Amino acid sequence: MAQAVIFPKLGQTMEEGAIVKWLKKEGDPVAKGDILFEIETDKANLEVESFFEGVLLKIYVREGVTVPVNTVVGYVGTAGEKVPDQAPKAEAPKAVPAAAPAQAAAPAPVKVEPAARPAAAPAPIAAATPATRPAPQPAAAPAPAARLIISPRAKALAKDACIDPSRIAGTGPNGRIVEKDVQAYLSASGYDALRITPAAKRLAAEKEVDILTVRGSGDGGRVMVEDVERALKRRPVALSRMRQVIARRLVESKQTIPHFYVTVKADITDLMAFRADLKAKGLNYSVNDFVLEAVVLSLEEYPIVNSVTDGLTVAWRGDVDLGMAVSVDNGLVVPVIRAAQTLTLKELSAQAKALAEKARAGKLTPDEMVGSSFSVSNMGMMNVDQFTAIINPGEAGILAVSSGRQVPAVVNGEIKVRTVMAMTLSVDHRIVDGSVGALFSNAIRSKLENVELWKSLV
Amino acid sequence: MYDFDVIVIGAGPGGYPAAIRAAQLGKKTAIIEKEAFGGTCLNWGCIPTKTLIASAERYHHAAHSEDFGVTAKGVTFDYAKMAARKAEIVAKLSGGVQMLLKSNGVELISGAARFEGPNRLSVVQPDGATRWLSAASIIIAAGSDSAMPGFLPKDKRVMDSRAFLDLKELPKNLLILGGGVIGCEFACMAAALGTKVTVVEMLEDIVVVLDRDVRRVLRKRMESLGITILTGAPLTHIEVKKDAVTGTYKDQTVAGDILLVAVGRKPNTVALDLARAGVKVDERGTIPVDAQGRTNVASVFAIGDLVTGSIQLAHAATQQGVVAAEAAAGHKAKVEKVCPSCIFTSPEIGLVGLTEAKAQQLGIVVKTAVFPFSALGKAMAAGETDGFVKWIADPVTGQVLGAQAIGCHATDLIAEAAIAIRNELTIDEVGNTIHCHPTMSEAWMEAAHAFHNACIHLPKR
Repeated sequence: MAQAVIFPKLGQTMEEGAIVKWLKKEGDPVAKGDILFEIETDKANLEVESFFEGVLLKIYVREGVTVPVNTVVGYVGTAGEKVPDQAPKAEAPKAVPAAAPAQAAAPAPVKVEPAARPAAAPAPIAAATPATRPAPQPAAAPAPAARLIISPRAKALAKDACIDPSRIAGTGPNGRIVEKDVQAYLSASGYDALRITPAAKRLAAEKEVDILTVRGSGDGGRVMVEDVERALKRRPVALSRMRQVIARRLVESKQTIPHFYVTVKADITDLMAFRADLKAKGLNYSVNDFVLEAVVLSLEEYPIVNSVTDGLTVAWRGDVDLGMAVSVDNGLVVPVIRAAQTLTLKELSAQAKALAEKARAGKLTPDEMVGSSFSVSNMGMMNVDQFTAIINPGEAGILAVSSGRQVPAVVNGEIKVRTVMAMTLSVDHRIVDGSVGALFSNAIRSKLENVELWKSLV
Repeated sequence: MYDFDVIVIGAGPGGYPAAIRAAQLGKKTAIIEKEAFGGTCLNWGCIPTKTLIASAERYHHAAHSEDFGVTAKGVTFDYAKMAARKAEIVAKLSGGVQMLLKSNGVELISGAARFEGPNRLSVVQPDGATRWLSAASIIIAAGSDSAMPGFLPKDKRVMDSRAFLDLKELPKNLLILGGGVIGCEFACMAAALGTKVTVVEMLEDIVVVLDRDVRRVLRKRMESLGITILTGAPLTHIEVKKDAVTGTYKDQTVAGDILLVAVGRKPNTVALDLARAGVKVDERGTIPVDAQGRTNVASVFAIGDLVTGSIQLAHAATQQGVVAAEAAAGHKAKVEKVCPSCIFTSPEIGLVGLTEAKAQQLGIVVKTAVFPFSALGKAMAAGETDGFVKWIADPVTGQVLGAQAIGCHATDLIAEAAIAIRNELTIDEVGNTIHCHPTMSEAWMEAAHAFHNACIHLPKR
């Protein structure tokens, strides 16, 4: 009997996802353990293996379409076996909640289908969340001509001229655009003077680019293929799921959490020397390891910074579940070091390293990226003097760590060359006041400057 | 104040046009040349080889025209005379270059230049005196020399193409190391004059920049000229014997009176002391530049063979030189992207733009169309039915992306394709353009029709 292939739930918080790529086609033989498809969740791309052996009989869910978890996406069975034409409803797809609670999954953002592809499965969600659709850029992407009242001759002329008729004011009955309107528009917009290469015009016609909106870069302002391609690149493209989630969470944070910022500069000259000593002994610690540990210790001292508020209540998070921002291709992820207060510096360092490697390899599971109570974003490797970070919703603060710099500093009344690193704390002013922010930041700073402390911890 | 607005180092096909253009734009310009005006192209490259090839073709036609109803008995040639004719033409052209430079008011300076700073040069002149010069902009156009790998024996029987051109007589047996453009051109020229030629190429085929179908025609014709082509393995154990150079290809011993080394060219950047100007050079010794030919140092430009990624052809250098001169004069010029190549083998080859192989490598979907000269009246009349022309175009828009031609006059025929590609014509504009009958150029039009499977002069497929 044919076996249903289910869109898997790969993490506790995972509610939906999209198949990025089918690695098998209908009719392909499938062995147990073969990769059937690749999925994209809001956290990561993952490969899904077949539990069954046989032939991939049917694919219901095409690439790029977002579906709830547990949806039947296809069938594997013996060749020739009958399967339903439509996907059976293994589990009723979750209705999009009208007003989703802050922490729940957001409504599925609208997928903007590339122009070349025919419209995918009906997307009823589209109407529910019009706000997520990027504003169309009339310059590059003609608005859908569905409601345009235009005569066939006018339409043909506009098409032949490679222009967008929706920009033309119609003079016919009910504002209908007639041929002479198009002709008038063309002569008024300097169409006759427009120069375009034959290949550029063909491409514009093929991709429905209004050539009046394209600036020419060729001899005498001639529109070249390159120029049409540039216009095409101005068309909105769907953000990856990861970026959509980043966008949503950052907006939520900035709109609901009143941020304030405290910057301190730690003199890490002695710490760097100590780190070099350790390295000579074969012990490899990064500056980030010390920062993480200093943050963990300081959060234990100032539990309010390791808390969360909804504006009515405040709750201490208990464990220090330390989020660590890692930049990955076209985005960033924040893997979490659980109960970091229970770890030794060595363990903390090892976990941070393992999670960062996993993140860069795209191997983090969704569960490894949720539930942090405070985060650290370190751009020390990126040659920056100072920056501020946006608090992850659900946390009270985030520390932005910048590059160590050699600067002239006053030490015991004398000017010395010292290595100084700026750190900027962003905190939720609803529960953390300026004085606590200052004390907390200085607690981190004084720990980083106290080499005796580190000697006791390694 | 600087001595000059623009100084150009090297008076080859890139340098002298740069100097003339700078002077035309009203810049006080000097050009420094350490050897001969006209550079490699004019003195030891394009021009002398084409002169010899013309002689070789004359001889070949004279001796092989029975099919045309022409019988010539006792046709002979005198290589020394051919070489003398070549020297005469070279001298005339070199003089012409100097005249052009002078007529534009460019100061000609003989000597070897080296950098002393971003705007300063020293020139060791032929009399040994050093002259110090400064300029607002300096254009490096010092070109390249044949690469002579260190493993080769140093002997008068082992030579590069430049030394080969100075020979007063041709060897009976010629061994060529390298089946690239230069190796194959010399092989064809020598073979046409009766030399027994062996070409050894390490790569899997000769002239691998060409599409396979073009190479197939070239290889077949070269072999029919009596050239032995050995590919896919290196030439090893190269030794100079008393009267021959020998080497090993796979298990086989190959030999020649002379070993012509044609394994590529190396940029002439070392002697310029570029570090003193702060000009960056990559690991291959070539200079990275922007779309105007500017190096990392704002006052220094580089053009031609010694530029990173440059197509090592005279006409490419010329265009780059003109652009660099215009940029140095404050104009917003850009180096052209479309540059046709010509290969003077027998038969000739022209190519421009994307090849089918390159498209495949880049993942670009293309459609090709071919028209063979064997179906062309003019080719039959001229007895030149080997070869074909080929379009490589976008299957959706029909934009012409590349073209190759092999056969009689292919190096001239390619100009039409270059215009089509540079101006983004589609296959339809080419096909709809009336071409003269009977000419070789009709093949482009026919191939354009073939793109739509609408060829008049090919049987229905």
